[in-house]
Amino acid sequence: MPRSSKEIVKIQDVHKAYGKEDVLKGISMEVTEGEVVILVGPSGTGKSTLLRCINQLTVPDSGHVWVNGIELTDPSTDIDKARQHIGMVFQDFNLFNHLSALDNVMLGLTQVLKMDVEKAREKAMHELDRVGLCNKFMNYPGQLSGGQKQRVAIARSLAMEPIVMLFDEPTSALDPELIGEVLVVMKDLALGGMTMICVTHEIGFARDVSTRIVFMEHGDIVEEGSPKKMLNHPDLQRTKQFLGKIRELH
Amino acid sequence: MEVLTVLVPYILRGLSVTLEVTGVALGFGLIFGAILAILRVYGGNLLSRILTLYTNILRALPHILLLLIIYFLIARIINLSAFWAGSLSLAIISSAYQAEIIRGAILSVPQGQMMAARSIGLTRIQAIWHVIIPQAFRHAIPPWSNEAAIVIKDSSLVYVLGVPEILRQAQYYSARTYQPFVAYITVAVIYFLLTFMTNRGLDALERRIRIPI
Repeated sequence: MPRSSKEIVKIQDVHKAYGKEDVLKGISMEVTEGEVVILVGPSGTGKSTLLRCINQLTVPDSGHVWVNGIELTDPSTDIDKARQHIGMVFQDFNLFNHLSALDNVMLGLTQVLKMDVEKAREKAMHELDRVGLCNKFMNYPGQLSGGQKQRVAIARSLAMEPIVMLFDEPTSALDPELIGEVLVVMKDLALGGMTMICVTHEIGFARDVSTRIVFMEHGDIVEEGSPKKMLNHPDLQRTKQFLGKIRELH
Repeated sequence: MEVLTVLVPYILRGLSVTLEVTGVALGFGLIFGAILAILRVYGGNLLSRILTLYTNILRALPHILLLLIIYFLIARIINLSAFWAGSLSLAIISSAYQAEIIRGAILSVPQGQMMAARSIGLTRIQAIWHVIIPQAFRHAIPPWSNEAAIVIKDSSLVYVLGVPEILRQAQYYSARTYQPFVAYITVAVIYFLLTFMTNRGLDALERRIRIPI
């Protein structure tokens, strides 16, 4: 895997509270080009919030976020423009229900990138092919399985040629049988050098393709390190206990 | 058969007025209502509160009373024909109900749709236009057909302003011929047919644009 040290995402002292509850208590993190970072931790510890703070779908209370050298927390930044190149995949897919698979992938191309329809269609078909679904291009979300929906959602993000992909529990809403097809696509992406930040408890995926595992709890990063270290001999007892539990389940 | 040759043409002369009043009230009501609904959902706290008050007041009062208030209010400021004053009053009343229908339809679109739309770089307005509205529109049709039926029937209210719609025509006829029964039954049949056909039309539209599953 080609690895440079170009910094793609930089998070500095990000705080976020919902009401009285501190969800993120000053997170700092850097992700360089080609890295695959896995965020793990008990539910409600702010992993998803942290992901959403990266593309500013959730605006942090304080702290700074840079993506590809542009500070997104700077109010003068055109956030819509910045988001074009930050792919995001959601737990419950969030495909546009009224649009076919093809139109789901095309919408950003025609409306955001202002591509002409023919070109956009070609590009969208190519992206659907990449996730193995070019034969389903006419299907509406309601006509697709969960795994297929998630693959279309990935294609929708990839079509925008993101410099980083954020995955928010991409397999958590899927039947066990359908998880594999999504992980295959994600693995391909990772091996192709895509910079990825994934909230997931798929420990096999983390072991095989990730470059770093970050363990979060109560809005803080507890421990981070290579998958080898984190899965086999983490420094902290708490990390060992949590990752051990997950490994038993998977 | 004097009924067929005199009564029916006489009342049908009012039909185009009834249709125009209904069209104006529903059409402008839809435009006002949609704007109100979008501002209420996306317009921030203060604006939303003001608009909520507006729709609550409009919905709390009898339509005939509002019609009279708005009519005399408008007539005082600008010189409008009874037809336009009455139709626009009905449009304003209907906008309050349509705003609620559309607001409900917008809120029934899952939040994740907006998030996904923004995540690929659509602006808020693009997301509303390309993702939220098309889905909300489909959700709105069944309750909207209810409102359409109400407005068709409410169009008869403008008769208090002297606008010659079908009920007014029937009243003239019965006053002249002392045959109220046939006159009003004829009008009843026309209202029934109008609402029935409108609902059938909207049902067909709903089926036609249903999202395949």
